[in-house]
Amino acid sequence: VLLATYMGYVGLGAAVLQALERPAEVQAAQHLLQERWELLANHTCLQGPALQRLIEGIIQAYKSGITLQGNTTSLGRWDYSGSFFFSISAITTVGYGNLSPSTAAGRIFCIVFALFGIPLNLVLLNEIGQLMLLGVQHCSCRLEEMFHWQNKASFLMKTCALVTGLLLFLLLPPLLFSDKEGWSYEEGFYYSFITLSTIGFGDYVVGTNPDRTYPSWYKNVISLWILFGMAWLALVIKFSINLLE
Amino acid sequence: KAMCSGRLQTALLVAGYFVYLLVGAAVFQALERTAEKQEKMAASQMKEAFLQNFTQLTVAEMEQFMKNLIEAIQNGVYPVGNESQFEESNWDFSNSFFFAGTVVSTIGYGTLHPKTAGGQIFCVFFALFGIPLNIVFLHHVGKMLSLLCKKLGEFLYEKGMRKKKIKFLTLLFFLATGILVFLCLPSVFFQITEGWSYSEGIYFAFITLSTIGFGDYVVGKQSDRKYFSYYRVLVAIWILFGLAWIALLFNL
Repeated sequence: VLLATYMGYVGLGAAVLQALERPAEVQAAQHLLQERWELLANHTCLQGPALQRLIEGIIQAYKSGITLQGNTTSLGRWDYSGSFFFSISAITTVGYGNLSPSTAAGRIFCIVFALFGIPLNLVLLNEIGQLMLLGVQHCSCRLEEMFHWQNKASFLMKTCALVTGLLLFLLLPPLLFSDKEGWSYEEGFYYSFITLSTIGFGDYVVGTNPDRTYPSWYKNVISLWILFGMAWLALVIKFSINLLE
Repeated sequence: KAMCSGRLQTALLVAGYFVYLLVGAAVFQALERTAEKQEKMAASQMKEAFLQNFTQLTVAEMEQFMKNLIEAIQNGVYPVGNESQFEESNWDFSNSFFFAGTVVSTIGYGTLHPKTAGGQIFCVFFALFGIPLNIVFLHHVGKMLSLLCKKLGEFLYEKGMRKKKIKFLTLLFFLATGILVFLCLPSVFFQITEGWSYSEGIYFAFITLSTIGFGDYVVGKQSDRKYFSYYRVLVAIWILFGLAWIALLFNL
C-alpha cells in the first residue's frame, strides 16, 4: 500500500507540473527561434553552421558555469568565498550545481570531503535541533509555572516555535532576497524552501548575480540562516513523520 | 560539571564544523581555479573569433543575442539543430515524473526546474508532504534490506559463531555488497549507457545517492545517445534502493 501511495503521489506531482510548465516552455522555445531567425535575416553574411557552432559554444560555456556577457573577465567563481559556499552546498547536501568541480581531482576530493562532511553536518544539525527543542521545553516549563496551565503550555509553545520558525526562516528571508537579489517575494519563498529542504535545484542562488553588489555581511548571514533553518525544518519534518507513523 | 562538558562538546562541534568547511573551501579553490581560468579564456576567444569573422554584427547586437540565448538555456531550451527538435518537451510525462522523484528524494538535480510561479509554489507544497512520505517509504525499504542481513546473521549463529563476530561480519557484508551493488556496478553500467569514464560514474553515483545532486551529470540527458525504453525506470529503482541502503547505514 505504501508503495502504491508513493508512486501515486509522485505521478500526481508529475502530471500537475507538466500541466503548469509545458505552455511556458513552448513559449520560450518559440521566442528563441524567432530571435535566431531575426538575427540570421539581419545579417545575411552569417551562415547557419557558424551560428550553430557559436550557439553550441555558448551552451558549453554556460554548462561549465561561464557567462559571456560584457567585456570584463568578471569575478572568478572559484575564489575563496565561492569555494566556501560550494563546500557548504556539498556537505549540507543542498548541491546547487551552479558551481561544480570540473577537474577529476576536484571531483574525487569532493567525494571524500562529502563522505566525512555529511555525517558531520548531520550531527551539527541534530545538536542545533536539540538545543532548539530544549529552549522550547524550557519556555513551556516556565509558562506552566507562571500560569499553572498543564498540558496546554507545551502545545502552545510548540505551535509558537513552529510559527516563529516559519516567520524567521521561510516568510521573512524572501523580503531580504527581494531587496538584495531583485527576486519577487514568491521566488524568494520558493528559493528559501528549496534550499532549506536541501533539494537545491540551483536555478536561484544567492549572491551570484554579476550586476548586483552585496554587502559584506550578506553571505555570512545567509550561511547562518541555512544552518538554523535546516535544523528547524528537520525538526518539523521529524514531527510530521511521527504523525504519519 | 556535566553541563559544562556538554557545552564544551557543542562548542567543539561547531568549531570543528567551520574548520572543516574552511579547509574544504581552500582545497576546492586550489584545485578548480586554474581550470576555470582556462575555460574562460577559451570562451572569450571563441566570442572574439566569431565577432572578427562577422564584422557586420555590432557588439551590442551580439550581447543582446547572447543574453536571449542564455535566458533560453536557463529556461531549459537548447536551440541546437532544426525546429523539429523543439517538439520534444522537457516537461513530457516521463521527464516530469523523474523530476517529481528528484524533488521528494531531495536530490534536486536542477537540470529541470519549474519556471512559472504556479509551478514553483506547487513544487514547495509538493515537497512539503512528499519529503516525509519519501522518508517513511525509504524506512520501509530499508527494513526489507535489513531483514536480509538478519537472515545472514541467524545463519551464522546457527553455525556457532559468537554474537560479536556475527555483528561485525554482517555489518561488513552489508557495507561491501552495498558499495558493490550501488556504487561500483552502476558505474560500469553508466560507462556503457552514458559514455562516462568510470570515475565520472562513481562521482555521479555518489553525488546522487548522497542527495547532493549537483546536476552536472544526469542520466538520460544526452541528446545524441539512444537509451533503451526502461532505462530511467531502472535508474530510479537503483536510486530508491541505494538511498534506503544509505539511510540504513546512517542508522547503524
